[in-house]
Amino acid sequence: MIRAESLSKTFGTVQAVRDVGLTAPDGRITALLGPNGAGKSTTLRILATVLRPDRGAAWVDGHSVADDPDSVRRAIGVLPHGAGLYARLTARENVAYFGALHGLKGAALRQRVDALIDQLDMGGFADRRVGGFSQGQRIRVALARALVHDPRNVILDEPTNGLDVMATRALRDIILELRAQGRCVVFSSHVMQEVATLCDDVVIVGQGVVGFAGTLDELRRRTGESDLEEAFIRVVGTEAP
Amino acid sequence: MRGFGVVLAKECRDNLRDRRTILASFSLALLGPALFTALMSFVLTSTLGESRAGFRLAVVGAEHAPRLVDHLRRYNVEVAPVSLDDPRQAVRDGVEDLVLVIDADYPRQLETGGVASVTLIHDSAQMGSARRDFARARQMIGQYGQKIGVLRLQLRGVDPAILTPIRIGEVDTASPAARAVTILGMLPYLLVLVVFMGGFYLAIDATAGEREHGSLEPLLSQPVSRSALVLGKIGAASVFSMVSTVLFLVSLSVSVPFVPLHRVGMSLSIDPLTCLAMFGVSLPLVALGAALLTAVASFAKSYKEAQTYLTVVILVPTLPLIVTQMLDQAPSTALMLVPSLSQATLVTSLIKGEAVSWLHVAVSAGATGLLAALVAWVAIALYRRERILI
Repeated sequence: MIRAESLSKTFGTVQAVRDVGLTAPDGRITALLGPNGAGKSTTLRILATVLRPDRGAAWVDGHSVADDPDSVRRAIGVLPHGAGLYARLTARENVAYFGALHGLKGAALRQRVDALIDQLDMGGFADRRVGGFSQGQRIRVALARALVHDPRNVILDEPTNGLDVMATRALRDIILELRAQGRCVVFSSHVMQEVATLCDDVVIVGQGVVGFAGTLDELRRRTGESDLEEAFIRVVGTEAP
Repeated sequence: MRGFGVVLAKECRDNLRDRRTILASFSLALLGPALFTALMSFVLTSTLGESRAGFRLAVVGAEHAPRLVDHLRRYNVEVAPVSLDDPRQAVRDGVEDLVLVIDADYPRQLETGGVASVTLIHDSAQMGSARRDFARARQMIGQYGQKIGVLRLQLRGVDPAILTPIRIGEVDTASPAARAVTILGMLPYLLVLVVFMGGFYLAIDATAGEREHGSLEPLLSQPVSRSALVLGKIGAASVFSMVSTVLFLVSLSVSVPFVPLHRVGMSLSIDPLTCLAMFGVSLPLVALGAALLTAVASFAKSYKEAQTYLTVVILVPTLPLIVTQMLDQAPSTALMLVPSLSQATLVTSLIKGEAVSWLHVAVSAGATGLLAALVAWVAIALYRRERILI
């Protein structure tokens, strides 16, 4: 369960996030939808304890992001923008490194990593160095790394970026699986269709503020548009940020 | 401190897989002593050989001055009578290093008590033995001329002493052994550089490299304290630095016996115990180097940028060495407060087989260790800022 209230964050003179609040319950997939530069990544980075908000507050399973970051870090798994893997380590070693940082060791760590390799269908490349991996393989490794401590909450920053159709479909299945396990899943995207096929709730962000929050049906009802893309554009406005 | 060991082990393993890092981190440690040995052997043998070895001197018109030729041969000069049309060109072309041209007028001038002239043709742009041979040939011919002058004065009943109102006595105390000691002064330099080079590339990879590849953000969102993370990285740089130092000492103890020091009556003992002592004395510098490299590289956003910064940083520990070498300081407790300088001084004493005071060792370790802790604290503070990820 992730909750945020009126977050704001400024970098120098650029106000990336003005006023963003959201509630993402367990067992549901919540999409953070918005055009490029809307403040999606910044919001997710605040939730992941990477950035501190200038104003506002956020909680993960009741732990405050600002006051108790270590408890938050134990409760969430994050797939950051661009994966960020170690090219000279194998897929297995990349996952095991973060598992060890979470305090897993010995047989418990090995079993957990094996289970993830199995679950994410990484057997074919688990013991190869990450350096030459395709984007789809990299995302899987990064996802396994994010899940190594079995977090209740999962944050995915534009996970489908650069993936082909097959890899996107495989990732979609994984995300649905995470929901079925009762986890709280939050992901960001700028692709409406992707959101439509996957999410339960949607939070639309434009220029640092929330334009809409609710289910897809509510979005259609609110905007009076049956086409979701039209509804999206109605909410964020047509002008570029 | 949970996570410290995990980070340390990962950084070491990760960097051990990079051939370029391995090569760059340890090549100075392995090859430095070999180069050092070669240089030292060269200097020793060339200074030893200087006074004895003869040299070749091409002489044009040797038939005009058989006595001069005899004089030169007595001093072990290999006189080669030649006939050259253009001796200058021969030297210019490098056919001959040194040519002595004796005028056809030479015998007549000597007989009549006039000034006989000879010409030494050389190329002063040439380095090494050619320059030395020229000076020696000139000196020998001058000596011969002086001898004739003395005879002429005696023939005329004049005391030759009136021509030398002042005699300059010269005493050069520089023995080959003394020169060897001068070169030996380079060893501590090399050691300080080796200590810093060992951790150089790992420190960059673990900080700026991690930032450039985008892996720092996920790393910093793990439930591990920043101090454990940063100290793990400094620890890994220290491990590489230590390995570099050990390789250097091993390489040194293997190659030093090849230097012909016994020929100048010197002995240089780099036995295992001395090596161990040098390693122990260097440890605080290892920690300081790793912390300093890690802290400075953390300011950089890319591998390349960090490389630029650290190239400057690596010069810093050599500065106090250069300054003191110019001032010629004796080891003192105050000197031990300066990192890198104190280690260099202690290492020099150890090599020379001099007694090392425990007080000096303690002050050196304390001062350098304290500074290392301070720099490590700065590095941790850098990673506590959000700016590190922006």
